[in-house]
Amino acid sequence: MFRHLPFVLALWKTNLLSAMEYRVSFLTQMVGMMLNNAIYFVFWVIFFARFEEINGWDLVDMFFLFGVVATGFGAGTYLFGNAVRLSSLIAEGQMDYYLSLPRPVLLHALASRSNASSAGDFIYGLFSFGAAVFYTGTFGGMMVLRFALGCLAAIAVLISFLVLVQSLTFWIGNTDLLRRNAFNAIVTFSLYPITLFDGTAKLLLFTLIPAAFIGALPAEFVRRFDLMQLVQICAGSAVFLFLAVFVFYRGLRRYESGSAIQVRT
Amino acid sequence: MTAITVHNLRKTFQMKRKAAGLRGSLRALWRPAYQSIEAVRGLSFAMEEGELLGFIGPNGAGKSTTIKILTGILHPSSGEATVLGHVPWQQRQDLAFQIGSVFGQRPQLWYHLPAADTFYLFGKIYELADADLHRRIAFLAEAFEIEELLETPVRKLSLGQRMRCEVAASLLHKPRVLLLDEPSIGLDVVAKQRLRLTIQRMSELEGVGVLLTSHDAGDIEALCRRVIIVNHGEIVYQDKVSALKRRYLTVKTVDVRYNEQLPADFGLPGVETLKVGRYGAKLRFDTRETPVEPVISGLAAAGSLADVTVSEPSLEDVISAIYERTETESG
Repeated sequence: MFRHLPFVLALWKTNLLSAMEYRVSFLTQMVGMMLNNAIYFVFWVIFFARFEEINGWDLVDMFFLFGVVATGFGAGTYLFGNAVRLSSLIAEGQMDYYLSLPRPVLLHALASRSNASSAGDFIYGLFSFGAAVFYTGTFGGMMVLRFALGCLAAIAVLISFLVLVQSLTFWIGNTDLLRRNAFNAIVTFSLYPITLFDGTAKLLLFTLIPAAFIGALPAEFVRRFDLMQLVQICAGSAVFLFLAVFVFYRGLRRYESGSAIQVRT
Repeated sequence: MTAITVHNLRKTFQMKRKAAGLRGSLRALWRPAYQSIEAVRGLSFAMEEGELLGFIGPNGAGKSTTIKILTGILHPSSGEATVLGHVPWQQRQDLAFQIGSVFGQRPQLWYHLPAADTFYLFGKIYELADADLHRRIAFLAEAFEIEELLETPVRKLSLGQRMRCEVAASLLHKPRVLLLDEPSIGLDVVAKQRLRLTIQRMSELEGVGVLLTSHDAGDIEALCRRVIIVNHGEIVYQDKVSALKRRYLTVKTVDVRYNEQLPADFGLPGVETLKVGRYGAKLRFDTRETPVEPVISGLAAAGSLADVTVSEPSLEDVISAIYERTETESG
């Protein structure tokens, strides 16, 4: 795996160079996304001004939650930007390029694009984590380490989930609508306090729409260390990563290419 | 040594069929119908290392599908193939270090960046040492005459300039085999000629074998010693380009002009008279039935010659005739 690190770093550098060709657009999208997140969070600030907590979750938990989710989403979709358009790449025969070069197809395809707006998510997430630390007054090296681990888990599960959903393209054709719905679902559910859900709904958030592994679970782990949660986070990430890679490569055997005229941006 | 072997290769796609209009769409929604399309039907051929092999055919003949199987992009439905000893769809990554590919309709250069940035990225993809990469880029830039283009964003290059950069990028890692799929598509005559010369020069310099698909017979005529003609996924002709010419370029057309007026019934035995004017005529004959020598001496004996032009059909005409023949034979 480490053999591919210089190549992935070079790919990310090339993405950055490409984004910098249109730096005004890059900055606008980045700032726009930060504002978008801030406006959304205002809703929770107003909510918790009226109600102290929801089943034990308070505003500080929400800062931790937004910190992990926004940083994870931002970093994930910035570094692996094609995770949100994999279905189009498969359906339109654009995997040819990655298949003709000597690198793992999935890694190469995912890391070949960066979304400018994701940088806004990432920065907003860091601010949110900073605010959470400020309110709790518990800043320390271990918390930063837990935050980094929580974000890595969020990235792994988010990207794996998107890959899993879009790998269905190999079997059922265009899954663009499914991808959009799945993306919206995982974003929405990962930003709600987990204590709102129980029973089947909670089970769904750990399995079919694994939002709990992206939001609540790592956010709680960042706030206070819990060995059981650490095990759950690591196991959940590993299982979803394995499933994503397995299903994608099974599907790739069915890939049918295409003859549409393409451009690499 | 053999670089590519292909034996009884087949590729079948499942195509969804739907009648036009809303009714057809609704019916397809309820009961989708599929049709099997055989893009490649039992191809067998071999290519030696360092060989320039042309793979020619009309649109939909199965050229690109074959190239995609040979690069490991597609899995075949059945049959065998090896490229430099590797089974492409099983050893794709190992093989990709040893081959280069260019698809005319699928650029590999990053559109918004100068070609040099893609070259440096490819250096990392192919694990080239920095010093080697710099030397290689300098060498290719000179060979392809692209020194001035390397720092221009790709979107601002002409199609011909971009294609030269594309081929140069595919040679960065010194591949032993280069698979070119329609590299001249959309290029003007001058750009085509320049690209052909550069590919030829690189093949001579580095001994890289080239499998070139094109629907332009000119590419094959200029570059390749051997040609495979495919139609409907099958090989319809496979031999040296010179043999193809010898075998099929037997019909000659003669334009002759005299210093004096011609009789109205001007003609030669075994030669078809296409047109007769006051001072000139246009004739056609088949060298398999009428040798060249009696025709020329007959023309000289008929009067005082001012000019004679003997021409043969283009390779394109010959290939069209082969396609038409196979269409007729297949019914």
